[in-house]
Amino acid sequence: MPALQDNASPSTAEGMGFFERYLTLWVALAIVVGILVGQFIPAVPETLSRFEVAQVSIPVAVLIWAMIFPMMAQIDFTSLLGVRRQPKGLIITTSVNWLIKPFTMFAISWLFLMVIFRPFIPAELASQYLAGAILLGAAPCTAMVFVWSYLTRGDAAYTLVQVALNDLIMLFAFAPIVVFLLGISNIQVPWDTIALSVILYIVIPLAAGYITRQSLIKKRGAEWYDNVFMKRVGPITPIGLIITLVLLFAFQGEVILNNPLHIVLIAIPLIIQTFLIFFIAYGWAKAWKLPHNIAAPGAMIGASNFFELAVAAAIALFGLQSGAALATVVGVLVEVPLMLALVRIANKTRHHFPATVNH
Amino acid sequence: MGNVIDIDSKALDFIKQRGGILTVRLSPRHGCCGGLAKVAIAEANPPADSSLYQCHRYQNITLFIDPALIGQGLSLNVEGWWKLRHLYMEGSPLLQP
Repeated sequence: MPALQDNASPSTAEGMGFFERYLTLWVALAIVVGILVGQFIPAVPETLSRFEVAQVSIPVAVLIWAMIFPMMAQIDFTSLLGVRRQPKGLIITTSVNWLIKPFTMFAISWLFLMVIFRPFIPAELASQYLAGAILLGAAPCTAMVFVWSYLTRGDAAYTLVQVALNDLIMLFAFAPIVVFLLGISNIQVPWDTIALSVILYIVIPLAAGYITRQSLIKKRGAEWYDNVFMKRVGPITPIGLIITLVLLFAFQGEVILNNPLHIVLIAIPLIIQTFLIFFIAYGWAKAWKLPHNIAAPGAMIGASNFFELAVAAAIALFGLQSGAALATVVGVLVEVPLMLALVRIANKTRHHFPATVNH
Repeated sequence: MGNVIDIDSKALDFIKQRGGILTVRLSPRHGCCGGLAKVAIAEANPPADSSLYQCHRYQNITLFIDPALIGQGLSLNVEGWWKLRHLYMEGSPLLQP
């Protein structure tokens, strides 16, 4: 256990295991495996696509719940009572996540995908990629921010509160923001479809996570819940993510094989948006003279995305074979290297912020 | 108890009302891409296995604390109301196993 009272930040190797450090590689491998399955064993996606109820693919829904439920099951909503402790930090993070981030994501993605890259991407596909970017922009990070906060020596209590607060806001704000931004992009999505995806992939996992947490803690104790139940359930998220990606690319193979350059083109606005959002929140925190252990996690949560939700919503709204689903996966592909770059920036600029005051 | 953790007087009263036993431990938070960070939390309950903790007596309460959290500058406070009243730790970065 490293003692973290000196100025040394944990190394990446300390904070992240082998799997998460090379997530980009596993995602790339999942894409290749998925494409190979789709091309050489087409019976797999054909069979899976038969299991649909009300246009919801049951195998995909199960995988998405497997990804999202463990994250929801670890949210401690009682920590919301701590919102008064770091009001400035929470004003910054909620403003950036909900009043700025979705709109800059839309603006930057629209500029690149619909204007600058127009000669390279057919218009219909470009608007699907824009839809995927909009879904990413409306979903701030919910679990990985604990790791980013650890790597920047962020305040643990503040990180808990900001995650619980953002998840609560997401419950109400995700659907209206997505519908609004898709609307001004001339991408029509029926309200009932988006309401169904919010119920399926936010409300149900959130309620199931909360009920599971409360009932198991009452029955077996909080220590058992943390050290036995969550230890078993927590690793399901990345496994579910990789299997979902394999499945997704089993359906998407043709799109990728026909347009391999599109992955790079989609990544460019996503990378710019990540840096922009980080610097807006981080700079705002600097202007308000917040300590670094609040500024860093406050900036990380908006820069990082809840891409499981974005992938789920893209599949629910536009289908497994859609460009929107592909765009959300590019978000996963660039996530870890980008966030580790921001961790390095945050750690190197620590001295520009006021010293932490321990209570 | 300043060299172990600082306990606010209201938190002390709250712990005494709940039986006078305090456990300060690490609670894991799993990242969605894998990875793990641990948050210091406090509960007015005895630990499941007291042999994993250091035991201290302080102003008529018994404190069980994860040895990794001793001397980390942690402070214990209480907030909320009625059934939502709960203990919370401040002054700690996230840690790793």
